[in-house]
Amino acid sequence: MLWKDQYELGVPSIDEQHKELFRRVESFLQALRSAGSWEEKAPRLNETLEFMKGYVVEHFRDEEEYQLSINYPGYEHHKQLHNGMVDYVLEVSEQYERSGNNEDLMQQFGGRLLAWLINHVAAEDQRIADYARKKG
Amino acid sequence: MKDKLYKALVDATHNVLKLMLNVTEISDRPAVDFSCDDEVDIAIGIVGDFQGEVIYRFPVATSLNMVNIMSGMQFEEVDVFVTSAVSEIANIISGNVLTALSVDDVKCDILPPVQCKPDEDKEYDIKTSCYLNTAIGDICLTIRLNRA
Repeated sequence: MLWKDQYELGVPSIDEQHKELFRRVESFLQALRSAGSWEEKAPRLNETLEFMKGYVVEHFRDEEEYQLSINYPGYEHHKQLHNGMVDYVLEVSEQYERSGNNEDLMQQFGGRLLAWLINHVAAEDQRIADYARKKG
Repeated sequence: MKDKLYKALVDATHNVLKLMLNVTEISDRPAVDFSCDDEVDIAIGIVGDFQGEVIYRFPVATSLNMVNIMSGMQFEEVDVFVTSAVSEIANIISGNVLTALSVDDVKCDILPPVQCKPDEDKEYDIKTSCYLNTAIGDICLTIRLNRA
């Protein structure tokens, strides 16, 4: 399972969104790495990619609102990280469409997304939780 | 500077392996002891106050272990997905190294990761390497920079 309890921030609404994001990414990776032809897998992958494009933006917005509500000093830097990932998702999505569903593009995206998401939640987001705990 | 670079590189790698992969058993050894025939080599370019690159040499077994731990899936060979995931880890470590150096007012940026072959011929003002022995396999890192 991709999600680990150690990723919890202690903010229920954000933790729930993280869990949903991990569930979706896990489902995406399982489809991406499953046996079968690319033509068979493409519809499920396209569906998950479309969902993530919307959900990632929504989650990042909610997380940024939470950061503002606690006056998190790393807000601007964190927002840059979010914007960078949103831009990447949109860019890959466009390239993928233009390429006529090129498999390598999606495999490359999957590998980067996996490592980025784990680092972001396990390291970057934990800084928000640390700050909130210290602030009390 | 060389010692600071070495420490920043080792510390950043320790932190990333611990946070992302739960790997805590890491020891550093002389880089000359590192030997590997089949590896994934990633270069992260550095621009700014210094110009150069960080070279990551991940043996295939280490690369697969990293991706298996992150994904909870079983990867048997290095492919586009594995290379991309490992490249992102290299990207994250390099970003953390530059963040650590920024405390000393060193301002640099990193370039996107690219696959490479280690090139030992070039001369650099500053060059340091470390060989990390971890529970998921070996890693060899080299940072080599010229003053801009």
